[in-house]
Amino acid sequence: MESINEIKRDTLSALLASGKRPDNRGMHDYRPITVQSGMMQNPDGAAIATIGKSQVMAGIKFDVATPFPDRPTEGVLSTSADLLPLASHLFETGPPSDESIELARVVDRGIRSSNIIDLNSFFLAEAKVLALYIDIFVLDHDGNLIDCSALAAMAALLSTRMPKIEGGKIIRGEFSGKLPLKGKVVTSTFGKLGERYFLDPSLDEEAGMDCRLTLATTEKHLCAGQKGGWGTVSERDIMTMLDIANEKAKELRALLPE
Amino acid sequence: MGGNAANKPELLKNGKRVDGRRVDELRPIKIVARVLNDADGSAYVEWGKNKILAGVYGPSECIPRHDQSLYRAIVKCRYNMAPFSGAEEHGRSGPNRRSKELSKVIREAFENVIIAESFPKTQIEVFIEVLQSDGGTRCAAVTAAAVALADAGIPMKDMICACAVGKIEGEVVVDLGKEEDNFGESDMPIAFSPRTGDVLLFQMDGLLTKEELARGIELARGASEKIRAIQFEAIKKVYEEPREERFLIIK
Amino acid sequence: MPGEMVSDKADRIAYAFVDNGKTYSTVVGLFSDGKLVPLEGPYEPLAEDMIVGIVAEVKFSGYSVEMNTAYTAFLSSREIRERYSMGDAIFACVSMIDEVRSTELSDAHKLPSGRLVKVSSVKVPRIIGKKNSMIDMIKAATGCEIFVGRNGYVWICDGANPTLAEKAIRMIEAQAHTTGLTDRVSRYLKENGGKDYSPSHVPSQPQGIGSQQGAQQGSEGGHSPYGSRSGGQGGFQRHSRYPPRQHGYR
Repeated sequence: MESINEIKRDTLSALLASGKRPDNRGMHDYRPITVQSGMMQNPDGAAIATIGKSQVMAGIKFDVATPFPDRPTEGVLSTSADLLPLASHLFETGPPSDESIELARVVDRGIRSSNIIDLNSFFLAEAKVLALYIDIFVLDHDGNLIDCSALAAMAALLSTRMPKIEGGKIIRGEFSGKLPLKGKVVTSTFGKLGERYFLDPSLDEEAGMDCRLTLATTEKHLCAGQKGGWGTVSERDIMTMLDIANEKAKELRALLPE
Repeated sequence: MGGNAANKPELLKNGKRVDGRRVDELRPIKIVARVLNDADGSAYVEWGKNKILAGVYGPSECIPRHDQSLYRAIVKCRYNMAPFSGAEEHGRSGPNRRSKELSKVIREAFENVIIAESFPKTQIEVFIEVLQSDGGTRCAAVTAAAVALADAGIPMKDMICACAVGKIEGEVVVDLGKEEDNFGESDMPIAFSPRTGDVLLFQMDGLLTKEELARGIELARGASEKIRAIQFEAIKKVYEEPREERFLIIK
Repeated sequence: MPGEMVSDKADRIAYAFVDNGKTYSTVVGLFSDGKLVPLEGPYEPLAEDMIVGIVAEVKFSGYSVEMNTAYTAFLSSREIRERYSMGDAIFACVSMIDEVRSTELSDAHKLPSGRLVKVSSVKVPRIIGKKNSMIDMIKAATGCEIFVGRNGYVWICDGANPTLAEKAIRMIEAQAHTTGLTDRVSRYLKENGGKDYSPSHVPSQPQGIGSQQGAQQGSEGGHSPYGSRSGGQGGFQRHSRYPPRQHGYR
């Protein structure tokens, strides 16, 4: 369904050209962020992250699975995302949309490339490994679902407990310590309109912008990137945005649990 | 029903159930209304360990057009469980057959009470997501959806709710938990319109005598009064503590 | 609350229905003086409502306008002197509603650039305030011209501080049912950068209003820029077009 843009593109352009945003934020400011984690009993890890009015829940579950044939000693990491119909009048019921698939894959890429999870430690026995499932449940959409989902996923991982394994089977309800992680991955997404780019686009801004760029970072590296939308970005844009992302990543990591 | 007989726990001992409840005692229920920003109405219910979120959109233009009715709003309902909601394995995304059946019976319960004639040619959508399940999710779902509809201002003949009753160790009990549901002798979720006492949703499996059935319905009816009071409190809180931005907070 | 009894006789009350000789509420609302006023609910257009709409489709003989209802709203080209394109915001009058709930608009004029804030239509009288007091206060403190549609769409024209105006309106929406709100809003505006933009500083009126007066004058009667229903004083009064519709509450 076509959504009526609440702020017309030219109004947004004019605002941005003078360095202002519809909600009086700075060009590199996040909206208020909250993170809750570890509050569910059934998933092995869970968290809810909110950025402005966007709210995303991430749940983690372990299962025993067969490994991929070309990587027989490695555990399985699988990320999925649901843009729930209750999250937005723009979301419909039905099979996963391109947006939800892109969202899942971008969040997955950040976590996988960064190697914060040692998948080799998930090996159990011949043809048996642990699979870690990350499920992203988008509950409320007001823009920048990528950063919100990645934050929820990272917080969920930080709250995840390793299940107790006996005889190659998971004993549900019993745990053996926390999931070992080598660092924290966070993402920063920028919107671009004309020559201006702005961090953490709200839904209004997303409706009017040309394109977006997401950068996933660990303390030392850039580990994933994704450009979405029709417009173009220049090389200089990317380098500048990476600097800003690295700065902002410190703030984001501080909000995550230990 | 359908648990493995080998690890069946003792469901009833000295009048106390596995979690210490009496036969006529409900699990703790907490309801918060208006927790989402985009949805027209929303509600979050914690019922024992169940955690259920409901969101409502409407009345809005009916899409696809050919579904619309010239006389009334079409009520659509989707009940769905999160892949991480169960205590056992990781589930699939999207509604399975059970979820589709529940979507239908829940929709039919609401079609009775929503005054759909007020909004011909439109649709009213009810979305229910089970974030964590522990037995009796469809009852918690109906209860949450009713609050979400009231939050959205959709006119209804009553605030309905639901509760499951069942039989364990020969005793009729109210509000089955997951183990009681798996290992008990009968499970009967019922939704009521407390104002009239009418039954809007009724499902049952297992074996019951006529007396047990009557006792079960009576227990459920009593429970529905208590649940409705909690629903009303949740709505009142929206106005007693107004917030501009809404958050789902799970402790 | 839905299902709660409001009268022990069979009465015809808006937003209530009769069952077995007694009358019950269908919505969450406030009941006093025999009237039931909902606290939430979809917008139901009435003739002579002034609304803010967005042009959704340009048709051969007119425009399809989106105005926060599930039903189509149509503005015939014959009714207006200007031309619009998709996405334009307009301020218009509801001239007619037919049996299939389609709405016809007239007396429209295009709004200058700005932003749309969607609120619950039930809260609109509170946003306008008694004799426009609330909305005038916001305009003066933020230096923005504001058009409030009875349909819950509020158009904040570009001006000195539209974001503050938006925040104030959202605050009113959340607290519409409380007392002392005017003072709290006044304090909020002062504490958050509201300056005093006296009426002469408010940006120019939209073109082509024709017989409509300038925005400051909006009050009783005529076509004020606020979608208050004639006779409405703020508070929750609804135009008495009841008894309810045939397919409504029996």
